[in-house]
Amino acid sequence: MNHRGGWALIRRTWASWMQYRGFFFLLAFGWMIPPLVYLFVWSTAAGGATVGGFSRGEFVAYYLVLILVNQLTYAQTNWIVGDVIRGGGMSQWLLYPLAPAYHVLSSELAGKVVYMIFVVPVTAVLAITLKPELHASLADVLAFVPALIFAWMLRFLWGYWLALLAFWSTRADALLAVQDALVFLLAGQVAPVALLPGVLGSAAEMLPFRYMVGFPVEVLTGQVSGTELATGFALQVGWLAVALGLTWILWRRGVRHYAAVGG
Amino acid sequence: MRAYATLIGQFIRASVQQELAYRANFLISLMHSLLNAATGVLGVAVLFGQVETVRGWDLGATLAVLGVYLTVGALRDLVISPSLDALAGMDGEVWTGRLDFTLLRPVDIQFLASVRHWRPFALVDLVIGIGVLVAAAARLDAAPGPGDLGAFLVAFGAGLLALYAVLLAFIGLTFWSPGFLFSWVFSGLFQMARYPVGLYPGWMRLALTWVVPVGIITTVPAQALAGDVGPGLLAGSVIAAVGLFAGATALFRAGLRRYASASS
Repeated sequence: MNHRGGWALIRRTWASWMQYRGFFFLLAFGWMIPPLVYLFVWSTAAGGATVGGFSRGEFVAYYLVLILVNQLTYAQTNWIVGDVIRGGGMSQWLLYPLAPAYHVLSSELAGKVVYMIFVVPVTAVLAITLKPELHASLADVLAFVPALIFAWMLRFLWGYWLALLAFWSTRADALLAVQDALVFLLAGQVAPVALLPGVLGSAAEMLPFRYMVGFPVEVLTGQVSGTELATGFALQVGWLAVALGLTWILWRRGVRHYAAVGG
Repeated sequence: MRAYATLIGQFIRASVQQELAYRANFLISLMHSLLNAATGVLGVAVLFGQVETVRGWDLGATLAVLGVYLTVGALRDLVISPSLDALAGMDGEVWTGRLDFTLLRPVDIQFLASVRHWRPFALVDLVIGIGVLVAAAARLDAAPGPGDLGAFLVAFGAGLLALYAVLLAFIGLTFWSPGFLFSWVFSGLFQMARYPVGLYPGWMRLALTWVVPVGIITTVPAQALAGDVGPGLLAGSVIAAVGLFAGATALFRAGLRRYASASS
């Protein structure tokens, strides 16, 4: 494997993304708003008391961490994969002496850096004005780091295998929109998963979406511990294995199926 | 006047013919619309599964705000956004200089820029939005009487005019900074209109009512439906909407005078 070439590609992509940072700041701004809406709505609902065990400050802490985690795990690159397959750009990717995954990874990393330059200061200002209550122990922080990394890998690979369906169907990115809606509803944005009622709540705990965003946030804000933490990690890693398997199979069969268009 | 009506008819016909070529898109946009409405309604339902009321807003009234949000958004997607967005951004008419050809047409440019492109698929959103609105009206404590409906229609019209004015003003700014997508900033802030402005903290409530007039666009019409709007607030939002429209028109025309074409 040519890792030095891959690193060069990552640096090049990052430099080109920084040129358009105004555009990407605008995108990041738009993505911040939905969790912000729920931050305000829930913290107003809590008022001086608690709702579902959350006080006003705890809601603020939960959603501020969620804004960061959501931005860090959001795999916007997957939208490009479909375009690249449909437009024939995949031919070029396949000709590079690099694993094609490097192209996707490089814009992933570039994106993360550019978006964070915008999101981190804004979140810091919000944290100063809104006074969150975060009681994270050292154990929470230590569990948060792997939970976040797995969450990113899961969200990325889950979107990647969906995007790879573009090898067979031109409108596969409709599925990415469905995934975004499910993440919005079930991953802890509309409400912390613990507050979702009945069937919705139990579905959210089993399905992979909570483990893409909500789970690391819950870990850092100290909502899960003991056996819940262990089950959570087991489900997260399990879904990650499923996503890896599907990506592997679809990539191998897809590339064989692929025929470029153009001329 | 007749000529303008005929023109609108022709624009609609051309847009429909264009979109009918993409039939598979219909199913996909139907799915998007249903997902969008479903996540919105479930979000409200989850909130009121935990609490009875928030600052005087209950399930019915909050759902009414969501219904207005979806309906106004559908009307925006039907004609305002497709038409105005053709001017903005890096491949927009102001940046590329294609506005030359638009300016040469013997009709009022603001009219042309506002109604040129239609997106018939948005009618699906319109149906869903009105459906949510009707469902919300049925859940209100007091069923809306004819007076409430009248006030609602006035407030809704004022809200729509305010939305159009804000979008037009942002397009006007495009003449100063052609590449910047001002309307994206507004689209981001507009998502806050899903919930009543009363649910936001104090300093934001004022800004969201009078600066970015999200409150006038969705909260006031929903309040009118519930019979909670006095004549003062109704008149205030109409005056604000008309004022915004006049200001936006002036800004757009001032921008137009700055336009100096472009070429490669």
